[in-house]
Amino acid sequence: MTEGRRVAVVGDGTSVAGFRPLGFAVFALSEPSEARGLWQELTGGEFAVVFVTEQVWPHVADLAADAADRAVPAVTVIPGAGSVGGIGQEKLDRAIERALGTTAFTREEDG
Amino acid sequence: MPALRVNPNRMELMKLRRRRQVAQRGHKLLKDKLDELMKEFLARIAETRRMRIDVEHELAAAYGLFAVVRGEAGKAGLALALASGSPVDLVDVSERNVMSVRIPEFASLPMPTPGGYSLATTPAMLDTALDALAAVAPRLLDLAEREKAIELLAAEIETTRRRVNALEHVLIPQLSETIRSIGMKLDEAERGNLTRLMKVKEMIAAQEEREVQRSVGS
Repeated sequence: MTEGRRVAVVGDGTSVAGFRPLGFAVFALSEPSEARGLWQELTGGEFAVVFVTEQVWPHVADLAADAADRAVPAVTVIPGAGSVGGIGQEKLDRAIERALGTTAFTREEDG
Repeated sequence: MPALRVNPNRMELMKLRRRRQVAQRGHKLLKDKLDELMKEFLARIAETRRMRIDVEHELAAAYGLFAVVRGEAGKAGLALALASGSPVDLVDVSERNVMSVRIPEFASLPMPTPGGYSLATTPAMLDTALDALAAVAPRLLDLAEREKAIELLAAEIETTRRRVNALEHVLIPQLSETIRSIGMKLDEAERGNLTRLMKVKEMIAAQEEREVQRSVGS
């Protein structure tokens, strides 16, 4: 069975504003910590995917652990405008480490 | 591995043997499940890593274009141009069952065409920037689906591995040790019985011999 769901983007206004005309539900924050207050709404089931910018992720990482075991929403980290990057990759590495006990083999494979 | 504290009798021995058999069957099943989960997991990693790197680059390029537009139109001008548009359903969600892990699948639905801003007052680059973002958006959704699958599989692999290890290194050795010790105790009791019987037989034989000698003597 399939059902249509919305997709949310959470981050600073500069990074996420461009998603609004494409039909994404945009949550532009003036302070990254505001995301904590929105988290219930974001993971309540209305959204299938929640994109979170790297600046916001550290503020909601502990809350996101609850949603991690459910099929939806999928919480994905995306780089924000002007962020260094790498946090999404780190999150992926943590999952790999959890399953395999190490990320060494997969890194070699990539290189 | 210390043995379980149970009464050393045949009934317990039978029960424990049955438990060990069930544990061994469960261990084999879980190990097969773990192998299959690992196969699914490893097949996804390399592709997802590559995809994340690509998507991050494309997103950074799109942000760059928006920065140029912001420079031309001003922060307020860009915010005004992007204020139009309301959230719509962008994905169809279905679930797939991989070794009892429910993995979501997102099928992209058509995105609304950006518009609603004045072409006269906004830079032409805005169209290019929105096109770039629209091009990366389906790949972002694909990446979200893949990363979610990896996270869910990783959690299941961790749980299954713990179960396999607990059965392999704790429960099955413990049951085997208990079965061995009960077997030894039962053997010991059997030997004790046998010795007692032999001793009794010897005593009876000696008594009979004495009685025969007494009857011969009288």
